[in-house]
Amino acid sequence: MTDPTLGLPLLSLLLLTLPAGAALIWLVPDPGRARWIALAAALVDLGIAVVALASFNPANGDFQLIERHPWIPSLNIDYALGVDGLTVAFLPLTVLLVIGVILASWTSVRTMPRLYYTLLLLLESTTIGVFCALDTVLFFLFWELTLIPIFFLVSLWGVGPNRRFAAVKYTLFMLVGGVPLLFAFILLAFNHAEVVGVSVPAGLSFDYQTLRTTPLPDGLELTVFLLLLAGFAVKTPVFPLHTWLPVLASDGPVSVAALMTGLKLGAYGLIRFVVPLAPDAAADMHWLLAGLGVLGILYGALGALAQTNLRRMLAFSSISHVGLVVLGIASLSIQGLQGAVFQLLNFTLVAGGLFLLAGFLHHRTGTTEVTSLGGVAQTMPLLAGGFLILGLASLGVPGTSGFPAELLLILSALASHTGAGLAALFGAVLGAGYFLSLYRRVFLGPVTAPAVAEALDLRRRELAVAGAACLLVLTLGLYPQGVLDLTRTAAERWVAHLPAAAPAVAVAPGR
Amino acid sequence: MESTETLVTTVHSFPVLALLQLLPLGAALALIRVRREGPAIALGLAAAAAELALAAYLYVGLDHGSAALQFAERWSLSPALNYHAGVDGVAVIFILLTALLSLLVVIYAPVRRLRPVPHFLAVALACEATLMSLFTTLDLLWFVVVSAIELGLVGYLMGRWATSPAEDLARQRYYEFMGTGLGLLLAGTLLLGWNYAAANAGQWSFDLTELAAVPMTPTLSSLTFFLLFYGLAIRTPLFPLHGWLPLVAEHGNVAVAPVFLLGLKVGIYGLVRFVFPLLPEAVDRWSPYVVAFAAAGIFYAALLALMQTNLRRLLAYAVVSHTSVLVIGLFSLGTAAFQGAVMLSANFGLAIAGLLFMTGCVYLRTRTTDLDKLGGLFDRLPMIGIAFFVAGLSIVGMPGTPGFDAVHLMLEAAIARFGALVTIAAALGNVAAAAFLLWAFQRAFLAPASAEATAKIPPATWPERVIAGVVILVLLGAGFYSEPWLEVTDAPLTALAARFGLGH
Repeated sequence: MTDPTLGLPLLSLLLLTLPAGAALIWLVPDPGRARWIALAAALVDLGIAVVALASFNPANGDFQLIERHPWIPSLNIDYALGVDGLTVAFLPLTVLLVIGVILASWTSVRTMPRLYYTLLLLLESTTIGVFCALDTVLFFLFWELTLIPIFFLVSLWGVGPNRRFAAVKYTLFMLVGGVPLLFAFILLAFNHAEVVGVSVPAGLSFDYQTLRTTPLPDGLELTVFLLLLAGFAVKTPVFPLHTWLPVLASDGPVSVAALMTGLKLGAYGLIRFVVPLAPDAAADMHWLLAGLGVLGILYGALGALAQTNLRRMLAFSSISHVGLVVLGIASLSIQGLQGAVFQLLNFTLVAGGLFLLAGFLHHRTGTTEVTSLGGVAQTMPLLAGGFLILGLASLGVPGTSGFPAELLLILSALASHTGAGLAALFGAVLGAGYFLSLYRRVFLGPVTAPAVAEALDLRRRELAVAGAACLLVLTLGLYPQGVLDLTRTAAERWVAHLPAAAPAVAVAPGR
Repeated sequence: MESTETLVTTVHSFPVLALLQLLPLGAALALIRVRREGPAIALGLAAAAAELALAAYLYVGLDHGSAALQFAERWSLSPALNYHAGVDGVAVIFILLTALLSLLVVIYAPVRRLRPVPHFLAVALACEATLMSLFTTLDLLWFVVVSAIELGLVGYLMGRWATSPAEDLARQRYYEFMGTGLGLLLAGTLLLGWNYAAANAGQWSFDLTELAAVPMTPTLSSLTFFLLFYGLAIRTPLFPLHGWLPLVAEHGNVAVAPVFLLGLKVGIYGLVRFVFPLLPEAVDRWSPYVVAFAAAGIFYAALLALMQTNLRRLLAYAVVSHTSVLVIGLFSLGTAAFQGAVMLSANFGLAIAGLLFMTGCVYLRTRTTDLDKLGGLFDRLPMIGIAFFVAGLSIVGMPGTPGFDAVHLMLEAAIARFGALVTIAAALGNVAAAAFLLWAFQRAFLAPASAEATAKIPPATWPERVIAGVVILVLLGAGFYSEPWLEVTDAPLTALAARFGLGH
């Protein structure tokens, strides 16, 4: 058997390239080089991620590229990494999004460029760690470490007057969310010690794969489910724990807004941890997940309708879209899960791309308020075109990558929770309403503001970012089978792990 | 008998522990004779560095797998008071931290221009000598006597180099509280000695190994427990006995005296070394009450910290808040609880010392610690800002700092003993601490300041960068690679847990 990884610890390399690049930024005396070094490090990382994707065998539903070293042996905490079909595609897309962010920041970030790019690289590294960690404590480490770069990025490079408030609010929300997560992981470790009958700490286990197969008593399982759900719901965000997102999106820097809405780590946590670690409770409480999903869809859509700022509108629409993902997960079916993962992958391109485009607009006009804009398409046709393509993808228009994802999600929701599925359809209609109405007011009509009249269209670098996002969106829209093949086996295993009582779905679109 | 088995002592070929105490003392005495600053600083640095090397030697030479008290030294001085020293993994952690923080103080003093420098260094090294004595002694009376000397020296340090005219009030309050604490401690000590004398035909002793062999009636042990516990709790300080701290923090000197008082948790060490092994039944009996007070203290102090506009007072309340977390950990009883508490006290100690040093560097430039008047410091002092931030994260128990492993262990123990409610309170207390520390960091370092005000701020000097760098490196190093510290405390604390009938 040939090993395309050449025996290299690919995932560790993926994690370490970025901090190495960050160190290099400080070793090279010229701060002006920082962006080049950051870009080079990210490109190397993209190469590694692509190799990882290529060496991944989708027919095997298990974890692959596993690395395991003892980290804190006395507590059985390991440095354990691995990816399965549900996560592997996130690696290249995460790196791609960060490359987009680096390119988008190229000329707009002037103050302390070294620190800025260092933080960006560290944020990317910890985010990849979140996707790869197979030890709950290691996961928690990466999960919490993402907060530090975000705190500084928002505080120092935010564009709005409330940036420091936004930074503290976000960090505190996430720290509060971290409490139930850590608590649940400790409970799981204790339960493992009890099940195997070995005393603490020798019997503790923080290994994800072990915990997934460790039986939980009913009461404890429900507790763990609710704790994990609470922890991840803050990050997802699920209404009413979402209030950090709009202020972060409007007052934080574009880079953070793009990463926060592009990478839905909370929804990833639902898929990776909440359901597999507490499968029976998840099957019993699927109505809770579905309810939270519907609430998010409708609340986000109605909230988006009321916005007059492009960035806040995007933030609320992302709450709405992630609600649909939660609803898809709640169906506990292969289609729902595949749709959810597809949609999450889609977000990195669509939501991330939309925010970067909004950032380009903000860079030119100094605002994303509807009242100060209008007729943007006349002076900036490329920007307007890119925004439209990505916007349509976020609505799930056929031909874009949003279509297969949304179709899978809505079909599975209709089959498992019919009422919720209908609400989701209504949400999609609302989505068309708020997006197109805001699009019309910002991009179409006569030019009124002098800032818009004088602005130049996308430059080559920006065009490359927007073009790459659009191209990928269209490619995935025309050929969704690649992603579906990648996630199928892992999704089947995910569902097989659930109790048989889970709502079964017979529809099998895509094949 | 099981209780004596855990308190075995082993002897070393030459008296390392005596040297550990005498080296800084000798340097301090020599410094009294030095008049010029240059040689004084050189001598102080050499002594502090040698002390750190000696502490490292102790760590390497210690048998990590053994619960015995090692490197033991013993001389009879009088029928009741003996010099008896010995260390285990727990003591070594505190000794290393003392040596490190003392070295940082010696580096810091010339930066802060605490004149006359030779005089200041002499007092600082004398403080180090007393602290080393506290962390090595196995005689309870010796502990009390040296505590008195140490608190006196620190009080002198605070008053002599105070930053505020209201220093009188602070010093008065400090001596009142500390005097009360010492009185309680002494009373508890004498009770233990008397109990020993009653059982051994009038032969008095305050030796840990000997006291541990004598049983106590429940009433007497409860009384002794409260005397010793409150005696130590005042200096720790534990809510509601913290009244001296905000005043001292605001009006005493910015970093040095608080580093000795708060960076080194003598109170916690005293509990682990003397109170827990000597009075296990009483500790077990009263732990729910202690924990209830501590849980209240977390939120009380965090709430007050959120309302402070002065960085130094804010840090004072931060200490009260995290000490409560520490006490919850300690009184959760068990190996994980003790390990978590010991690691957490070393972590909090280093972290709060880092915060205080960085605050001192800021004060040197701005002559104020009023948060409303600070701002924009991150541009001018990035290294100091990062050290402040990392130390703050360590207090909060962020993963990647030693605080996380410690809090993790502590939460495990607290869940097992007190259930979810107390544990969640402790965890949320940490989040509250994050709230006020992040807020303070933003106000001081990230908030915009007027351009002229920040342009005048000189950049960090080399000694300041060294202090900041050491704080960052040690915290992150111990955070990502915590195994050595867990391993060295494992054996003695497992033995201590066994005294409570709790194994791993």
